[in-house]
Amino acid sequence: MHELGIVLEVVKQVEEIARVNNLAKIDTLVLQIGELSSIVPYYIEELYPIAVEDSFLRDTLLRIETIPGIGECSSCGLSYHVKDSDYKCPDCKGSEWTVITGTEFMIKEILIESSGCQS
Amino acid sequence: MNVIEIKKRVYDRNDEKARVLRDELKAKGTFMMNLMSSPGSGKTTMVMGTINLLKNRCKIGVIEADLDSDVDALTVEKTGVRVIQLHSGGMCHLDAGMAREGLEALLYADLDFAIIENIGNLICPAQYDLGQSVNVMILSVPEGDDKPLKYPAMFEKVDVLLVSKTDTMEVFDFNLDILEKRVRKLNPSICIFPISAKYGDGMDVWCDYLLDAIENWK
Repeated sequence: MHELGIVLEVVKQVEEIARVNNLAKIDTLVLQIGELSSIVPYYIEELYPIAVEDSFLRDTLLRIETIPGIGECSSCGLSYHVKDSDYKCPDCKGSEWTVITGTEFMIKEILIESSGCQS
Repeated sequence: MNVIEIKKRVYDRNDEKARVLRDELKAKGTFMMNLMSSPGSGKTTMVMGTINLLKNRCKIGVIEADLDSDVDALTVEKTGVRVIQLHSGGMCHLDAGMAREGLEALLYADLDFAIIENIGNLICPAQYDLGQSVNVMILSVPEGDDKPLKYPAMFEKVDVLLVSKTDTMEVFDFNLDILEKRVRKLNPSICIFPISAKYGDGMDVWCDYLLDAIENWK
């Protein structure tokens, strides 16, 4: 499954971040997922507990922020939410557009308690 | 609670591994083709046909990736080139780390041309750079000319589109002109080659293109 490999990769990268920063525990992991990224937040949330079960992130909460899929109309230059508008410009009905936001898949930040640092 | 800002693209690590691998392939003069398509599009038949036309002109190796079988590797082995089977362990795509594993198992350093047959899937493999020299996809005529509308990311990403099983064109409602328009809208510079690997139609034009690309890589 697409999302399982992705979650395992995220876990690996966050473990590495914890190691480099000498963190004993991470309370919350915040991911940003764009609406045009072909990654479905629902599946990431479903798979996350399984992926972290035997890892350093076992007790780490997951929070996902969705980034809207915004495109710029190639004909009239209007910026609009492409999925809500069925991929067509709501103004001039043009169907060609370029992405402004929405393809992101990022590890945005991690939250730790003040005592989370080992040194 | 303290916030540590990371702001890191999850794909960055793979992209960096791919960049390093591509540099190594360039230094060794091995041209690598990442071949993608849906299952049943004729990847293995096309690979066999390509090998048979090129094996006397350059040294070829093949990595067959599959969820869990070695059917394709055993078939390709009959052409006499070096073949290894890579199992993705249930994953729907390969990444640059797996590509490196495959190439190393193939002892690729003396090869002119390494073919990686990716997992049959039009969605996930489009997200991953393997370190390839060229991205090629196959769309077979029975799949229909509407696929660029359904899987735009894949058509945007590839350098070459092979339209396979052209011998079945009359049976299926497939319009090559409409397909080309749809594809070029997503990817204006893509090369499109119609082929029938079974009967050999178009295979010489495709192989001439490949041979040029392989020579230019050195």
